[in-house]
Amino acid sequence: MSTVAPFTASIAAMYQDALLAHHRAPHNRRVLETPTASGARRNPVCGDEISVMVLLDGDVVRDVAFTGRGCSIATASASMMTEAVLGLAAGEALAVADAVDRMLHASGAEASVESVLPPALTPLLGVAPFPGRHGCAILPWQALREALTAKR
Amino acid sequence: MSLMSLAPRADFPLLAANPALHYLDSAATSQKPAVVLDALRYFYETSNANPHRGAYALSALATDAYHDARATIARFVGVADADCLIFTRGTTESMNLVASSWGDAHVGPGDEIVVTALEHHANFVPWQQLALRTGATLRIVELTPTQTIDLDMLRDVVGAHTKIVAITHVSNAVGSITPLHDVVRIVRSRSAAVIVVDGAQAVPHLPVHFDTLDIDFYAFSGHKLLGPMGIGVLVGRRKLLEAMPPYQFGGDMIEWVRDTDSTWNVLPHKFEAGTPNAADAVALAAAVRYLDGLGMANVRAHEIALLEAAEARVRALPGVTVYGPPPAQRSGVLSFSLADVHPHDLATILDQHGVCIRAGHHCAQPLMRRLGVSATARASFYVYSDGSDVDALVGALTAAQQLFATVD
Repeated sequence: MSTVAPFTASIAAMYQDALLAHHRAPHNRRVLETPTASGARRNPVCGDEISVMVLLDGDVVRDVAFTGRGCSIATASASMMTEAVLGLAAGEALAVADAVDRMLHASGAEASVESVLPPALTPLLGVAPFPGRHGCAILPWQALREALTAKR
Repeated sequence: MSLMSLAPRADFPLLAANPALHYLDSAATSQKPAVVLDALRYFYETSNANPHRGAYALSALATDAYHDARATIARFVGVADADCLIFTRGTTESMNLVASSWGDAHVGPGDEIVVTALEHHANFVPWQQLALRTGATLRIVELTPTQTIDLDMLRDVVGAHTKIVAITHVSNAVGSITPLHDVVRIVRSRSAAVIVVDGAQAVPHLPVHFDTLDIDFYAFSGHKLLGPMGIGVLVGRRKLLEAMPPYQFGGDMIEWVRDTDSTWNVLPHKFEAGTPNAADAVALAAAVRYLDGLGMANVRAHEIALLEAAEARVRALPGVTVYGPPPAQRSGVLSFSLADVHPHDLATILDQHGVCIRAGHHCAQPLMRRLGVSATARASFYVYSDGSDVDALVGALTAAQQLFATVD
């Protein structure tokens, strides 16, 4: 009979220093006192919850922060997200969220996908080969999407 | 360490084909021995016809195989009246059956339904929803600091208004074994409530004898005790089952169908609408014969030995919290968390070492809230587990801690 698929994707590729550094010392993990918009999403698999707060100046993300508990992937993804979308127009930030979605679901053949990701998010590429963890990586982006679309 | 498995791994095709795999998620579902897979195949190759239907020899074969399976499983769990053993899809369906059929007929405003904070969602949500739709009150018995049911609180909560006490025999999330005799004594002395017990994590791991328990309903799932997915059991007292309305309507469960009303078949058929899952019942019977061959007392002793060995070594790691009472009061479940590694990260890293554990809320969110965590990591043992599984678990946990500690 066939055997269980060997563990091909590298654990080291997912838990690179860059990702673990974000997990250990997340950026912008704080409360915005007067957010323009906010969103919160819960991962039904593990019960983790991430809340995202956004301060918009017109249509531009002037400040963004997150709170909540999550695994290393969710926390690091949230931390990187705050770096990546700061200063973007809301529509641009949503486009980045779309790019993260596409990157996670892309097959290996679609190498061009990573070129559309902002450099701050490249550590997330390591999560793609682990479908069981996509929900963790995407959690803060769903909360951001909720915040920005609610605002519009 | 040198603890051997109780059942030969060679009996389990998936384990035999994956010698490097350390399957420590048997509380979620067990692996299947070849005798179970063979029984499934043998039924379809030699006896396949619709039971109870055809007036031909093949259908009679199928009917006999299904009937024999029920008798075998009834003997295994100490049920003398095998017609009171209803086949369902699993524990979840069994609980929904009791909540809908007995619950809707007997529970109303002012009544109380008692559950515990230890329950799996399958033995929590059906009662919560029954309370919501009937206007009854759901009472939740809290836990001791080691996640066992607080019997003093049970004593306080159960009273004249209690219609149902729904309680787990063994916790899926932390492994706590409920002292059922104490629970029954408390409930019977204070109320006329029916006692419904979730045995999904008990029947695979402990000797269970329904007729001596003095409870009213008992449910379990086949796939956790070496059987196939999609077959499970509800055992009930004849008096209650006979008085209950059917849960589903259709073929096999009827006696006469007139244009404007119908009458129902006798037990167990009244609760088995549609073509029965005879093949899976036959395979489940093969599973319980296999477990009988191992001896359930030996299964229990084997799991305690593994659990004690694993727990001692896991507790020796830095920053570990183990949930539940001491190993002797648990099934083969080690539920824990590490201070610096989220359970979800842990499961991914352990997977890389060929170690399968469960990370999550274990379908027990009320319990997770009370523990103050969103998730725990759970390693669970069974008859095919051995010392190498414990070694692999501890080795992978150490590797995970090292990975997370190397960040600057």
